[in-house]
Amino acid sequence: MPSHAIRIAGLRVVFGSFPAVDGLDLDIRAGELFGLIGPNGAGKSTTLRVLTGQRRPTAGAVTVCGYDVAREWAAVRPLFGYVPDRDNHFAEFTGRKNLRFFARLYGVPPRRADEVLDLVELDGAADVAVAGYSLGMRKKLLLARAVLHDPPVLYLDEPTANLDPRSAALVRRILRDRVNAGATVVLTTHDMDEVDAACDRVGVVCRGKLVALDSPAALKQAHTERVVDVVRADGRREAFAVDTDRGRRGLAELVAAGRAASVHTREFDFRATFLRLTGQAFE
Amino acid sequence: MRPHILAALLRKEWDRHLANRGGVALGLLLVAAAVLMGAFAPDEAAGSVGRVGGAHHCFVEYDAETPLVAHLARNVPPELAGQVVFRRLADADAVDGLIVYDPGVGSIQLRQPAGGAVRVSVWYPDGDPAALARFEGWFWRESRRAFGEQARRDGASAPDPAFGPDDSWLVLEAHGRLRDRAGSAVPELVVDRKGLGGAVLDVRAAVATGMVAFALYFACVYLLATLTCEERERGLLLAQALSPASTTEIIAAKALFYPALGIGLAAVVAGAYRPDVLAEPFFWLSLAAVGGGFLGVGLTVAALARTQRAAFLGAMGYLLAVSLVLLGCTTGGVRWVPALAVEYHGPRVLHAALTGSVAEDHWGHLLAAAGLAAGWLALAGWLFRRVGWQA
Repeated sequence: MPSHAIRIAGLRVVFGSFPAVDGLDLDIRAGELFGLIGPNGAGKSTTLRVLTGQRRPTAGAVTVCGYDVAREWAAVRPLFGYVPDRDNHFAEFTGRKNLRFFARLYGVPPRRADEVLDLVELDGAADVAVAGYSLGMRKKLLLARAVLHDPPVLYLDEPTANLDPRSAALVRRILRDRVNAGATVVLTTHDMDEVDAACDRVGVVCRGKLVALDSPAALKQAHTERVVDVVRADGRREAFAVDTDRGRRGLAELVAAGRAASVHTREFDFRATFLRLTGQAFE
Repeated sequence: MRPHILAALLRKEWDRHLANRGGVALGLLLVAAAVLMGAFAPDEAAGSVGRVGGAHHCFVEYDAETPLVAHLARNVPPELAGQVVFRRLADADAVDGLIVYDPGVGSIQLRQPAGGAVRVSVWYPDGDPAALARFEGWFWRESRRAFGEQARRDGASAPDPAFGPDDSWLVLEAHGRLRDRAGSAVPELVVDRKGLGGAVLDVRAAVATGMVAFALYFACVYLLATLTCEERERGLLLAQALSPASTTEIIAAKALFYPALGIGLAAVVAGAYRPDVLAEPFFWLSLAAVGGGFLGVGLTVAALARTQRAAFLGAMGYLLAVSLVLLGCTTGGVRWVPALAVEYHGPRVLHAALTGSVAEDHWGHLLAAAGLAAGWLALAGWLFRRVGWQA
């Protein structure tokens, strides 16, 4: 596999006169868990649609594992698994029957369906009709279907939405295991905590363009406000910018005089960073 | 086309029908009805004519453009305008030399070889001698006027004797008196009235034909369109299209499964009514042609409708629209438009197969149905490949 599992070069997708994706350049390395974030309408879902062959690009090139998505779709198709944002199971079939159907399409043995049901901890509900599943169970079944054929690339749209904390942790563990096994995982989400906890790198898109690309830690470093909030003994609040001499001196004097009731550093706030980068609030 | 994928898709369709028991129940009901129909009064003779009496159209057919024909054509009263159709006998549709008329249609034929006697043949729908009464009344009245004018032109002063246009004997008697006064200026009149003949509709065969056609329509249009759109609506088509199954394979599986289901159900219904029919190649060819046509309609509806509800309305709306067009064309005397509908040819070939009365013209209907099926399938395939699986 090439060092870059996914290469997006000059991607442009236009709806009428509106450019949903406007010259996006992005390389996603093999074996990384990549988060694609952005406000609604930023172009991340459209990008995912191009990657999954649901929409042809207006311009630009997209390759997955070296195959051009537009020209070599037949070769690309078995290489990825996809978890959409809404479930799309045969509700009248059991979980096991759903997976066995897709196992037959992918040409994998039926026992693989049982393995992935175990993996997502749905083995106890394997023979229950999906119509009786909760939203979280359906989401986990989507993940089971996506990893059924052990694909080298996984796309996930809001993978932990509707999941309880334990199930969300399970999904993150499965994704990390896939990455450790060499797979490339691309997820889109609005959950900044998930991005922070799970992703190796994050791409921030806004108005169809990439506006930031780095690891969550580096983004924190680059965009955390170096400000200390102090609540004085008399109850008044004060903020000190520690990047300035005046701020550092004022904070030191207050603490030395024992007039500070509490001191808090401002932690990395992805929402604030996001506002700064995109000029748009998260929705 | 990979066999393991096709097999998986076909099995999925089958499993879905087993899981959704409504369709299975309706299929069983159809078969039960056919069994009951076959079991009760199996040897009952054809009992009644399945048609409302009267004639909605009357042809005036002639062998030559005589003054009488011209007079009649000029004097069609407004209340019969559009219901009286003039044509040369040579232009009438004929099979083996016999003129064929649609149900609810009669004819008044005029022959006057070499200026001799006028021979009038009144052909009324079989079993309904009064069906053409309105048309005959007009015809005799205007014939009488035409002959009277002819006599006057030739110098005969002939006051009209008593005349009753609703009675052939009176017509002939009055005409005889006119001839007595006008002499050879008025040609001799020969009248002859007959039923059109042909087979009387066996109601049980008609019902069986309807059930067989319904079985095909039910599977190939209704089930295919609604279940395909349900898959689209729920993102299931997308899930399959993103798997190794190609669009062609997804369509092919549906194009195999639903006609097979429809033909199987139709064969069971037909076999329950008349088991012998299952050994007749024409029956199977008819099922294939009509099933193919309905498959094309179903795929077209499935490609155009976005939701299951829209597919249901599309399937039912299509049936209603075609029925209205066929009814309108039949009663309006429009002959070529119905021939463009599978639903026009289908029941004819299926009825012929079920009643063992296949004639030469039924092969024409079969070919027409097959041709229309090919057209529908081409349209549906193009549409489905273009927009079909997308959410």
